Amino acid sequence: MNKGPWTLLKVTVAVIYLFILGPILITAAVAFNGTNRSFFPPRGFSLRWWGEAFAPQWVQPLMFSLELAALTAVIATAIGVPLAFAFQRYDFPGKTIVRTITLGPLILPTLVTGIALLQFLTVIGLGRWLGYWALLIGHVIICLPFSVRTIAISLQAMPGSVEQAAANLGAGPLSVLRYVTFPIIMPGIFAGMAFAFIHSFTDINMSLFIAKPGQRPVTVAIMSFLDFGFAPTLAALSILSLLIPLVLIAVLGRFVGIGNFLYQEQGRG
Amino acid sequence: MAEPALKLDKLVKRFGTHAAVDGIDLAVAPGEFVTLLGPSGCGKTTTLNLIAGFLAPDGGHIQLGGRMVENLPPFQRDLGMVFQDYALFPHMTVADNVAFGLKMRKVAKGEISARVAEALALVKLDGFGARRPNQLSGGQRQRVALARALVIRPTMLLLDEPLSNLDLKLREEMRTEISSLQRRLGIATVFVTHDQGEALTMSDRIAVMRDGMIEQIGAPAEIYERPATRFVAGFIGSINMVPAKVDAIEGGAVRLATPAGPARARIDGVSAGAGVTLTVRPERLKLGPGAPADAVAWQARVERVVYTGARLEVQLALADGSSAMAEATNDGSTRFTAGQTTTLWFRPEDAWVIRESA
Repeated sequence: MNKGPWTLLKVTVAVIYLFILGPILITAAVAFNGTNRSFFPPRGFSLRWWGEAFAPQWVQPLMFSLELAALTAVIATAIGVPLAFAFQRYDFPGKTIVRTITLGPLILPTLVTGIALLQFLTVIGLGRWLGYWALLIGHVIICLPFSVRTIAISLQAMPGSVEQAAANLGAGPLSVLRYVTFPIIMPGIFAGMAFAFIHSFTDINMSLFIAKPGQRPVTVAIMSFLDFGFAPTLAALSILSLLIPLVLIAVLGRFVGIGNFLYQEQGRG
Repeated sequence: MAEPALKLDKLVKRFGTHAAVDGIDLAVAPGEFVTLLGPSGCGKTTTLNLIAGFLAPDGGHIQLGGRMVENLPPFQRDLGMVFQDYALFPHMTVADNVAFGLKMRKVAKGEISARVAEALALVKLDGFGARRPNQLSGGQRQRVALARALVIRPTMLLLDEPLSNLDLKLREEMRTEISSLQRRLGIATVFVTHDQGEALTMSDRIAVMRDGMIEQIGAPAEIYERPATRFVAGFIGSINMVPAKVDAIEGGAVRLATPAGPARARIDGVSAGAGVTLTVRPERLKLGPGAPADAVAWQARVERVVYTGARLEVQLALADGSSAMAEATNDGSTRFTAGQTTTLWFRPEDAWVIRESA
């Protein structure tokens, strides 16, 4: 066998890993600087930046982001489940249009969606909604495609005969949903919820336009603070923000088995 | 006769303008094993889905044990069905899969576990209750699906190509197993397949379907030996078909003119001059000397001999250049070589005439 292409592939993968993991590792190291500048390699050793990351100034936006992401994920899932069923199972007039609009935010720049939502709310006289409610609406809009798509994929991956078998064995439509369909697509629903959560938690484009001072997600807070330079506090905070979605995925992966949905486009049958 | 287990009356199902099932009449007696056989797209699976209630008919009636069911949803029809992909519930154990139908019927817990154990024993899967479907082999999944369908003691069993996903050896084992189980339980069964071997070995009767209609229905031997149409003749087994014209009628037999030579065969109710098709199965065609006086004998040239072990398939060219095939037992008594000219013969009672011209 020709080893050339394999070597090239291995090198490419190694380089990709380097560029994914390198920045994270450097940021983590920077957060332990003994000085108040972001040196790498760190000069001295100190945990004070981690302490500062837990100051109210940062904990408040962090909690706000968590709350917003959790609520967004729940709402996106609640809307996403019936939408996915509708797209996957039924034909109705305007289906293509509805689906295109729902999945639109996947391809539209969020920045544009954000500005558009800001304009729209102002024009229709709901400018006073700007802030929390507008932020929630915006986040649901941009997170909905993730839950819809993931749930639709899990529905598609389920063989139709399983539901027919349940009906054949005496299960009415509601029992089929309860005992067969939902248990089988549950990993997909949780995966969709996780995607929505992460997408909301990491969003800055939408929040930048719509968040009000005092109700800022942590991404916006970090962004504003960057005007004063990259302090080691930000490094610590960044690592914290990174850990939250990672822990969420790990927990869901452990208990619900969402791994298949995160790492490939096919669910289990 | 007792009330049929299943009766289809002028059943019709259209998809758009295409009639997938185009007026089917069928009665299945209690305990009878009926196979719907046909090529893909002939409407056999659609018919099964209509019986199960997954599709609503556009016309006609379905009766189960004398009860009209075409307006009942699938979960009220009380049928046991085995699907081509088994359709086991992946999130449940084997025992929970089998118990599902009983739970839906609100059977008491104690009885459920007893009946699940009994059903698993029936399909020789004792002790597999705690496993998940993905820990089973194809054949074992098949048995679970069968147990799950039988445990509810359905009025009827529906089998949708249940053997097509198994490998050859397993398929033959399951054939016998399903057949003997069905006979032992005496449960009326409709079996859908495109495999003629399965149909011939398992069925009490076979309904050969084509373009949404039943082309012929009868016992396996009748379908094989007395096919009603050229389609049925050609779909099941190999067959030699020669276009023929009725020359004269002599009592119970007719004299035929064919491009390969004159022939005689038994058929009633045709008139002289009618165009028909003379058919002979390869295993009924003999080669060489030894033809009795009343046999039909033609000249033929051996084109090729295909050695299949126990049998020899001899491909022949007839007088008009058309081809025929004879099958001989490889008993050591006969040797054929390509190019040799020989006599091909068959007794009139080994031929079968189809009232359809080519």
